[in-house]
Amino acid sequence: MTNLTIAIAKGRLQAEALALLARAGLRLPDEARLSRRLAIEDESGRYRFIFVKPADVPVYVEHGIADCGIVGRDVLLESEADLLQPLTLEIGRCRIVVAAPDSNLSDGFGMLRVATKYPRIAAKYFGEHGQPVEIIELSGSVELAPVLGLADCIVDLVETGATLRENGLQIVEVIAKSSARFVVNRASYQLKANFVSSLLEALREANEDRKA
Amino acid sequence: MSESLSAIPSGVRYYFGREAHLRRAIEHAAMSIFKAWSYEEITPPSVDYYSLFERGMGSVEAQDAFRFTDTDGKLLALRPDVTSGIARAAATLMAKRERPLRFSYAAPVFRLRAESHAEWRRESTQIGCELIGRNGCAADTEVLLIAVEILSSLGLDGSYAITINDLEVFNGIVGRLGLDAPAQEKLRELVDTHNAGDLERFLASYASTEECASFAQLVKLSGRGEVFQNARRVITNDRSVTALDRLEALWGVIDSLGLSAHFEVDLGDVSRLDYYTGLIFKIYVAGVGMRVGSGGRYDQLTANFGKAEPAVGFVLDLDALAEAMRANESISRLGEVAERTAALIMDEDPAVLFREALRKRERGDRVVINLKRDLIP
Repeated sequence: MTNLTIAIAKGRLQAEALALLARAGLRLPDEARLSRRLAIEDESGRYRFIFVKPADVPVYVEHGIADCGIVGRDVLLESEADLLQPLTLEIGRCRIVVAAPDSNLSDGFGMLRVATKYPRIAAKYFGEHGQPVEIIELSGSVELAPVLGLADCIVDLVETGATLRENGLQIVEVIAKSSARFVVNRASYQLKANFVSSLLEALREANEDRKA
Repeated sequence: MSESLSAIPSGVRYYFGREAHLRRAIEHAAMSIFKAWSYEEITPPSVDYYSLFERGMGSVEAQDAFRFTDTDGKLLALRPDVTSGIARAAATLMAKRERPLRFSYAAPVFRLRAESHAEWRRESTQIGCELIGRNGCAADTEVLLIAVEILSSLGLDGSYAITINDLEVFNGIVGRLGLDAPAQEKLRELVDTHNAGDLERFLASYASTEECASFAQLVKLSGRGEVFQNARRVITNDRSVTALDRLEALWGVIDSLGLSAHFEVDLGDVSRLDYYTGLIFKIYVAGVGMRVGSGGRYDQLTANFGKAEPAVGFVLDLDALAEAMRANESISRLGEVAERTAALIMDEDPAVLFREALRKRERGDRVVINLKRDLIP
């Protein structure tokens, strides 16, 4: 019987998240790490890891199927899920930005067309600035949209900015800084308080090491 | 423009079979316990003026209501909560009754929610109670004990936790910062999600180092009796200290009744600042990701209906309770319908058939009439 189930965002964050958990004492057996199984237990058998798409981490945790999870702040902002976020992690650093071919966004024609994988973040940001926009939701290669004329600008994640530059885009505005968060289901936080707080403490230490 | 006949609107559903039976049994168990604590059952109208809910729930929450207009043009709503209707009755219809008033209810509520979250349903049944006209530790303890008895009667002992907090602890600290409404809401959200990292950054521009420390404690202070000691070390303003005293007194009573194992103190629970005024509590059950119930003190509510008096109460979500019982395999606890085997009765002559059926029913047997297509012309 495992104590806690932890949902990990696959992809960009996965390796860093597992390294952080290993420093906190949660190690995965080698053969499990290499396998394609999506649910595995750590060496102690006390923790079960599930690997899901980033946008699904808040879903599993909000429903209590996973007690906690590691996922980027960008995903949390987009999902608007009701979760506890007790720890900001020093991994997966990036920025959510508005980028365009030209630093002057408005060409005087009013409505701005925005291509993005993050429709809610984009709508909220432009809404707060009173800028009318048409949001075009894409699921990848967003940088292409302004180049081909589908949109005037994009709202996207940026780590180094290399992809933007290579596609002739520049950062117009930084909407938010993002890094990974440790999130916890509200019920698990109370009902498994001992397990959650000891994991939280171990992660906090591992995270501090990283910060230093 | 016509939907397929099998389609039903999002967020609503049918209940039948074992699930319907379980829901009825839970409702019955809870209502019997309310009755045994001398709570009078009350059912407010299902349709009422929209303005009632604006007064009762606040204008933001009330926007969730399904709305339509009366023949005279007045705006009506399908009730999105039960408490508003009870608060109005307490202040008007029952203004002259002796206090305290004790009411219980089990009734469906309707909310026009957009699709998205874990708790997304548009119709749900609320089971709850209100104790109106008394404040203080004894009234708070009374409703908490009723919640405990209901959870226990459903076989959930050892699988549930009730968190308690007093919102005045938070209000006392915020009061000193002089924040405008949007900033206060941002702060509430950061504390409520226990988001220590962002909280620290947010506060840096508003608060002294010392005040930052008290907030940091708010989001970390969750636990049992030791919370009070830790809290008093960093939280020293009068308003918060009065609230801590009140909460600690309540904890003392809970502890002396031997019930503290079911309870936790969570000073970071600040989910409804606009509604609750002091005590706030949440009920969680293992195996259910969402809250099963919540409650607290709302001393401002009846003032909105012209008669200010203290009130405390809670509400349980029937679907969440059913889910909790399923997850904890405590369904048999409700003696799942005396499932007697049904006597299958058939006879060519309807008179003979139903005479036999009536005789069995008089004995209390369950019957199922075998209605052949051609049995009764």
